[in-house]
Amino acid sequence: MSTVLAGHGLVKKYGSTTALAGVDVEVRERDSLAIMGPSGSGKSTLLHTLAGIIRPDGGRVLLRGARIDDLGENKLSALRRKRFGFVFQFGQLLPELPAEENVALPLMLEGTPRRQAVERARRWFAPLGLDGLEGRRPGQLSGGQAQRVAIARALVIEPDVVFADEPTGALDQNTSTEVVRLLTSVTREQGAALVMVTHDADVAAHCDRVLQVRDGRISSHHQYTVA
Amino acid sequence: MRSPVLPLTWHLARSSGRRGLQSRLLAASAAAVGAFVMLVMIAACLGSGARADRTAWRVPDAVPGRSATAVQATTTTYVRHQPVTVVNLAQRPDREPTPAPPGLSAFPKRGEVYVSPALAELLHRLPANQLADRFPEVKSYGTVGAAGLASPDELVAVIGRAPGDPAVSESAAGGSWYDEGQTARAGITGFSGSKPSMFTGSDQQTALLGAVLLVVPVVVLAAAAGRLGAARREQRLAALRLAGATPRQILAMTAAEAAGVGAAGALAGALAYVALLPALARIPYGVGSWYTGELWVGVPWLAAVVLGVTVLLTVSAVTMLRQVATSPLGVAQQADPRRTRMIRLVLFAAALGYIFLTAQDHMTNRQMIVLLVLFYAAFWLFGPWVVDRLGRIAGRFARRPATLLAARRLTDDPRGAWRTVSGLVLAGFVAGFFSVSRLDIGFTEHPDQVAVLTDGGADARHTAAETRTLLDRAGVKATVSTVGEDDFEDSVLLGDTGVVARVSGGPEQIDAATTALTAVGKGRFPVSQDYVSASDDTVTDRIATVSTATLILSFLVATASAGLTAAANVLDRRRVYGLLRLSGTPLRVLDRARVRETVLPLVVLAGGTTAMGVFGAYQLNKAAGATVNSSGAFQLAVCVTIGALAILAAIGGSRPLLRRVTANPTQTAD
Ligand SMILES: Nc1ncnc2c1ncn2[C@@H]1O[C@H](COP(=O)(O)OP(=O)(O)OP(=O)(O)O)[C@@H](O)[C@H]1O
Ligand SMILES: [Mg+2]
Repeated sequence: MSTVLAGHGLVKKYGSTTALAGVDVEVRERDSLAIMGPSGSGKSTLLHTLAGIIRPDGGRVLLRGARIDDLGENKLSALRRKRFGFVFQFGQLLPELPAEENVALPLMLEGTPRRQAVERARRWFAPLGLDGLEGRRPGQLSGGQAQRVAIARALVIEPDVVFADEPTGALDQNTSTEVVRLLTSVTREQGAALVMVTHDADVAAHCDRVLQVRDGRISSHHQYTVA
Repeated sequence: MRSPVLPLTWHLARSSGRRGLQSRLLAASAAAVGAFVMLVMIAACLGSGARADRTAWRVPDAVPGRSATAVQATTTTYVRHQPVTVVNLAQRPDREPTPAPPGLSAFPKRGEVYVSPALAELLHRLPANQLADRFPEVKSYGTVGAAGLASPDELVAVIGRAPGDPAVSESAAGGSWYDEGQTARAGITGFSGSKPSMFTGSDQQTALLGAVLLVVPVVVLAAAAGRLGAARREQRLAALRLAGATPRQILAMTAAEAAGVGAAGALAGALAYVALLPALARIPYGVGSWYTGELWVGVPWLAAVVLGVTVLLTVSAVTMLRQVATSPLGVAQQADPRRTRMIRLVLFAAALGYIFLTAQDHMTNRQMIVLLVLFYAAFWLFGPWVVDRLGRIAGRFARRPATLLAARRLTDDPRGAWRTVSGLVLAGFVAGFFSVSRLDIGFTEHPDQVAVLTDGGADARHTAAETRTLLDRAGVKATVSTVGEDDFEDSVLLGDTGVVARVSGGPEQIDAATTALTAVGKGRFPVSQDYVSASDDTVTDRIATVSTATLILSFLVATASAGLTAAANVLDRRRVYGLLRLSGTPLRVLDRARVRETVLPLVVLAGGTTAMGVFGAYQLNKAAGATVNSSGAFQLAVCVTIGALAILAAIGGSRPLLRRVTANPTQTAD
């Protein structure tokens, strides 16, 4: 399987704090990677660097072999919009849009006509167990449902990589398992790779591989043999 | 034990950094603008009342003939289209001395002429045959002091006459309807008149109209300012709550801070008002600029406004926080947007119908305010309904993401969107109506005529001959004819008998003719179009001034509220905006959505009501046979365009804020 996304020798400093001290990562097609580590160890920084949200001070980020860390702000923004999907802990859905329009928004931003965008968005509701919730607004959804809508929104553009930063951080244990199970399986079916930051070992266990980060370095790399 | 609330608030306020300071400054400035605008309008109301009172001595209050000690005959003549109030006074020889009129040190002796400083200046500037020759010849003029004047710009003359002088005779009493408010004669014992002059009488009511119209925009502004602070504080307070502060303590801290910011701002606005009093006094209204003292509202009003603005800000901040406190994930998480119902439209129509049925020409202040408040309330019901419908329609047809976002926002919070534009919508209606309607209904105007009233046909022929001679001698080109009942349409006297001179040439010639013909008037000044249409013109002029001022101030206030609301919205939604930006949503789209969510209701509602006002005025004018005031319409258009651009700019002003709060991924992402 070919490498979709790679970071080589990534370094990021904030003043005297070194958030990343030379990290190497590779993510392959349909691969799912969990990043774990103590608070402040640099997990989010690593995810943001790989996703082209922050620029590393050293090292390179490659998407299908092409450098992306030196692109301009607008190009990066377009790249994130077209090739990446994002799931955050909470609060990423626009509260006044019904679920289906929240999901359709990335397509509309790319110029897909509204009706078509909404139609394509709706197709994601059944596989994610969201049948009948298309017209609900985020305030009318449970935390787990909202996260599943967020997953639909991340996947609707058929991205190369889905990035998730603590996607289950605001959920209880059962919901959390359900959401991460869907996130990993649907991402894989879709053919996208998954990079997920989590505190929760049970959540991480759904991924193919787990990276342990400590003080901005990778301290261990565990490969599950399941898949 | 002392409550820790105040010291803690102070500590937090000091440690909240530059951004916190900026938002507090912004909120305080809004409070300052609100307090300032309110004080200026109150000053205009109180001041125009005070100055109307200072003209009351000129309108004689009749006393029984036996007890009168003097005769007062007040009349009005026009120079360069401006009214000159002339008060003729004659002491009756066998009676007690009459006290001095206001502004004079003694009752004028026969042959003495006292003039206001502005009139003195004009007498000096214009040739004698255009103005000075209308008055008795004197070596030097006395001065009418400020106590007898409403404005430093007023043109007033007080003339001492002999008891037998025609200027104080019965024939100078003026009996035609156009004399009403301009010419009157009576026996007096002093100057305790209680009726203000016509030129100042409607000032207060009109100013009050403006003040009432501005109350709501100012309230909205203060509320927006309170909200801005709350949006900013929310995050810190959430942290405090985690640290164990009770909700009650948090509310108390919010209230304390908002009150501090509001009071500081309102005080600054009040100080600005005091400091600018001399400058404000130079803004002309009605009879002219002001004596500074007339615009001083007094300490109680000052305190009331400062207190009012402070309370508004505080209440707004606390209610805002209550919403935040009940939904930890953010303000916008209300489960279901409350629908606005059709009943609003019905009530609106009913209220408007009632207003149009009950509104009359001559209303007391109280009636007018009641109707105006009802009018406001009707729109307050109607506005959110329209915004809601608008959101639904735009939501159905939107094709671009920005339009869709804006439309959904409108339906989500129609009241919020309505609040932002409400001030303009109502000001737009009023200004639209008054700037286009002329209010002078019906009669043909004869600006070229100068007329002298006569007793009958024979007198008229005699006077006509005299008139020709006088005009000839004065070098004024004019055709002179006698007029009577049949000349209603063609004579400035509207059917009264007299002699009319149709003068060719500009205002100088009219003034010269008026001056020359003063001699044949039997104690009355010749009558011109200015004199005949004075009462209509006065009302029209005051309303035009006030509606323009109200529109400008409304725009100012609404611009500030729109800017503040936009900033508060960005702060409220920094998380979702930040996350959208991380996911690659162009800021441009979010920005367009923000602009559209204000512009859409603004264009439809403010545009709609302004057009409604213009249309109403047009219909009224058509019914009355008057023409549309096209310069007024033009002014209105310019005003509305500039105002709308200013509002766009104000919303655009929060663009850097949007950029900043969404810039830091680590802050937004967790
Ligand atoms: N914008 C920033 N400015 C300064 N320091 C930062 C910034 N962002 C991150 N850091 C620092 O970099 C280090 C790594 O932060 P990062 O957010 O990646 O940690 P994390 O592993 O995601 O922690 P958590 O599990 O708490 O989310 C921390 O020490 C943090 O304080
Ligand atoms: Mg993190």
